[in-house]
Amino acid sequence: MDAQLNSNILNLYRTFGDNTPLSYKGPIDDHILQVIGTYIEGLLKHSPKAGKKVFKIFIELAQNISYYSAERSKLANNKDIGTGMVLISEQAEYYTFMTGNLVKTDDIISIIEKSEVINSLDREELREYKREQRKLPPGKKGGAHIGLIQVALTSSNPLDIEVNPVDEEHSFFSIAVKIDK
Amino acid sequence: MENIHIEGKHGVNFIPTVDFNAETGVCELAGESYLEDTIEFYTPLYDWLKQYIEEVKKPIVFNFRLRYFNTSSSKCIIDILNILKKYETTGGTVEVNWYYDAEEEDIEDELEEIEDFMIETNIKINLVPN
Repeated sequence: MDAQLNSNILNLYRTFGDNTPLSYKGPIDDHILQVIGTYIEGLLKHSPKAGKKVFKIFIELAQNISYYSAERSKLANNKDIGTGMVLISEQAEYYTFMTGNLVKTDDIISIIEKSEVINSLDREELREYKREQRKLPPGKKGGAHIGLIQVALTSSNPLDIEVNPVDEEHSFFSIAVKIDK
Repeated sequence: MENIHIEGKHGVNFIPTVDFNAETGVCELAGESYLEDTIEFYTPLYDWLKQYIEEVKKPIVFNFRLRYFNTSSSKCIIDILNILKKYETTGGTVEVNWYYDAEEEDIEDELEEIEDFMIETNIKINLVPN
């Protein structure tokens, strides 16, 4: 047995601690979306308002991973599915919803720029930006280019974005967003 | 002209219930919409509306009873509203009703979204509390 790997997984488990009701890394397809979505609905029944917001944000960010992640997994049905991480942590006053996935470094600048625009706007300006962006021709499978804008509107908090280069072509893109209880 | 009936699913794919009736001109979209591929699902609905407008030419009552939809579905809703608006501008009679649950926790967000739909498409949407 690989003792090193086993102790790593224990460390990872401890890092998440008691306040991480959900952590997932892997391909995100319809099945996973449904299973985690149902889990979130159940988990957050005691704070319905925040619960619904967490659910909506989960759907948008998880679908972004499944469409756009640079890391792909082949499923048994030969479907090519985006892979990434989804994490929820719970504090007394709020939830934090986080996702992380690989992005081609060439694509990262436009995501960062868009996030900066989003964080600089107030609610009314955000709504206007959303209406403008929604008019653009659809992206992959009907994507509306407004997922991140909607996440900011739903959470009413700024997007916390981080980008870390992993190799010459790829960066790890992570986003954390607070949802007040 | 055929009616469209699609039973909604709260399962692996969350698809809305669709009822488009060519005899009455009443069209309904209900339930949840956060499918993986919205274009594939919604294109036949646009085609139906365009065919109805061209061939049947009678009034349309469009009832939305959606509980939850993702952003790519919102774009499809805009496309539907644009088709209806165009029909209205060329002389068709159109009524759009949006049924909502006033008790819903995040109802302000939903009403804000419907206001955005109206601003974006210029069509009147009647808000009907359940």
